[in-house]
Amino acid sequence: MPIKLTAVSRRRPGLTRAEYFRYIEHYHGTVARLERFKIDKYIQNHVIDGAFGTLADDDHQNKIADRDGVVELYFSEFRDMLATLEPEGVTTSRANQDGRFFANERTNVLCMAEETELPVANPRPKFNPGLGEPGVGGLKVMYFIMRKDDVYPNDYYKLWQKAHDEAMAASPYAQEQIRKIVVSKRSRVNDNDAAARAHFKMVDPPVYDMFVSFWVDSIEQVGAFRQYVAALQESPYEFADWSQSFYLYVRTVRIIDDAPPKD
Amino acid sequence: MITPDLSKPEWAAQKTYTQNRLDSVIKAMRPELTEAEKARPFAKYYYDEIPQPDPAHYAKMDDPIDPSEAFYPEDINRLLDVDWLRQSTEIGWCVLPNGAGYICNSILYPESTPEMIDWWFAWHPLEDLRYRIWYPPQHAGIMLSPIDRARILDPGVPMKEKNWGVVHYVTENCDCGYENIDINFRNPADMGFDMTRFDDVIATFAGGMGWAVAVQKCDDSITAPALMVHVFYKEEGGLRHRTRFWMGYRINEQNKPELCLPPHVSVPAAAVQGLARHNVKEYTRWREFLPRIYKELGGSLYC
Repeated sequence: MPIKLTAVSRRRPGLTRAEYFRYIEHYHGTVARLERFKIDKYIQNHVIDGAFGTLADDDHQNKIADRDGVVELYFSEFRDMLATLEPEGVTTSRANQDGRFFANERTNVLCMAEETELPVANPRPKFNPGLGEPGVGGLKVMYFIMRKDDVYPNDYYKLWQKAHDEAMAASPYAQEQIRKIVVSKRSRVNDNDAAARAHFKMVDPPVYDMFVSFWVDSIEQVGAFRQYVAALQESPYEFADWSQSFYLYVRTVRIIDDAPPKD
Repeated sequence: MITPDLSKPEWAAQKTYTQNRLDSVIKAMRPELTEAEKARPFAKYYYDEIPQPDPAHYAKMDDPIDPSEAFYPEDINRLLDVDWLRQSTEIGWCVLPNGAGYICNSILYPESTPEMIDWWFAWHPLEDLRYRIWYPPQHAGIMLSPIDRARILDPGVPMKEKNWGVVHYVTENCDCGYENIDINFRNPADMGFDMTRFDDVIATFAGGMGWAVAVQKCDDSITAPALMVHVFYKEEGGLRHRTRFWMGYRINEQNKPELCLPPHVSVPAAAVQGLARHNVKEYTRWREFLPRIYKELGGSLYC
């Protein structure tokens, strides 16, 4: 899929997490299916747990320290994304208007990104024991890595790749248990999101140039990711502001996906 | 990676990303050269009288060409068909029916060689002044990232490949005000060229994808993408330089050109014409100046 729109949100005031999850999956998800426009795929990620910053921080240094959901909307091309967000002949789409009923929209973090899958040492066998998503594992971890201000974006990606390779090499449990890795790099088309920021009343939202998704079989194996993260954060390469980075353990929910199961 | 030698200006020029963005506001004012810059062996070129474009050539950028005379980035391999190119419109600009901006230009360099071109594209991003002397009226500054600087200065990387994967962060006025333009140089295969034919036709190449935004950026500023191709051909009488720009296009992660304008939006004609005119002016200057500076400084990236 060439491009996706990712929104990392927290629930609006007054909602319990259960109410929030129920609403976005069963009501908002239905709205999206009814008003699909040019969406190729729509994945919701319901947050189970997560961590913001590092153990070395005395206090939270990032602007956001609570997230409840991540939606990923996939499009064949950027123009399809625009045509869906601002559909012709539709003054206000139901999906656009629905967000305020479940999300605290002004604290959304948006990332228009392109995906690249990385090789893993031990991809899941063909047999699916029913742990979760076919072919990838039941628990997804989404790691949003804030670039250090002084680091050039092109260097940031190269340094992350080196740090990732070395951290993975130093993490035998992660090598054994991580079934799939997908890197989502922010596209520069995202620079032109003024209308979205205005719509959501977002003021100076944090910008994440990359997030990386990892899959393990279940939450029982999430220690594999923690082993990798510990090695990554000890990297000698200066590319990330770990205090403003965060990761989320999520349960994926397929809202729209025409692809046949892989298993 | 090679070790930086901060006693050399080529390394000492390094600034952080944040600092370079802040500096670009000052650079866009084109301040007088510092004493250190005046002491550089190439500073004299900054004070050259800048040659003006051939009036007939420049006049071809007055009005748009018929879009049917243009081609799209998906057809980039037309640049390998010299007979077809000679029959086509080679100088002009227009707004394409899909809203993208198209620019073509062609200029003959009687005294330049492919080696000069490759050297220049590796040599000039190392210091602001190197970029400024190219076209002093409108070139304000340039920066590389530390990793890209190390690649450029790595003697193990062939000169014609030094910019592959490298980003030039330039501050430039393309006749529509000063912009910060991040030019992601690519290898020709990643631009879509047919590499089974490329080396038989093309003497050398520089191209990639740029993202441009006003130096005086505000919350609503548009960051505009464009594809840029400079291809050089040996022909009787010198080296032929053909340029194409497709404004409004980017290259996606699958290495495919992709239009990313909103529906019913076109690149403003003034922006297309501005870049077309700027292109003629900067390469008119280059045509005369590159052989001179190469004779004096060519062969090394240090001076």
